[in-house]
Amino acid sequence: MSVVNYGTREITCKIVYYGPGRSGKTTNLQHVYSQLPEERKGKMVSLATETDRTLFFDFLPLDLGTISGFATRFQLYTVPGQVYYAATRKLVLQGVDGVVFVADSQSRQLAENIESLQDLHANLADEGLDPRTLPLVMQYNKRDLPAGEISTIQELDETLNFRAAPYFAANAINGGGVFETLRSIASMVLGRLSAPAPKGS
Amino acid sequence: MATGVKKGAEDDSGEFADFMADISHEIAKRVESLNPTPKSMPAHRKETTPVPDPGVIREWDNVADRMIEEMG
Repeated sequence: MSVVNYGTREITCKIVYYGPGRSGKTTNLQHVYSQLPEERKGKMVSLATETDRTLFFDFLPLDLGTISGFATRFQLYTVPGQVYYAATRKLVLQGVDGVVFVADSQSRQLAENIESLQDLHANLADEGLDPRTLPLVMQYNKRDLPAGEISTIQELDETLNFRAAPYFAANAINGGGVFETLRSIASMVLGRLSAPAPKGS
Repeated sequence: MATGVKKGAEDDSGEFADFMADISHEIAKRVESLNPTPKSMPAHRKETTPVPDPGVIREWDNVADRMIEEMG
């Protein structure tokens, strides 16, 4: 849960990149990591199989330093997209503040996108989170592929984005759209930073 | 609110700096609007211990063990 902690003067937000296998979630984090100035580069934890599929999850702590007197940290996670890692996805979603759904634009992957989106909603509900109100940004990735192989943005949006969430076209492998997506979800999460609960509520 | 790609991969320089500038501005606004500083400070302040955030994973060894267990 994202909070402004006035006691410790800390802001911590957890953002999870969700989506089907091979949609480009890890690539998003790798691009963010590649753009970090040396002095801010912590350790990106990535556990992959021999074929580069994410095994557990990726974790990128983004220490933004002190902003307005608050030590600010964003924690970026990915989930393994393959269906058989359901337990890991649930674990990673615990305490999530915002989700980036990375959809694969390839036409033949549309069913996988839908399945993953349904899986996201089910897991959020299991965590007691309302999928209708949790900050969500859609990213339609792999826009650099030939037009004949990918669905149009309109098709993807009509099929996947029934919440009318902000969406971004991206080609994460070249960095296109990665920071725009991150900026959007970060802004939404920060916009929901909670004030201290009033007494008796 | 929907937005398309604004700039492509060729414009990598300063991406993080731009992001930081936007986020800093956003945080400054939020911190100011949420600032709970009371008009007058109470005479006695009770010491409180920060509650750990359950969503933040701190013990990596335990997490790895749990995941192996769950997937086994």
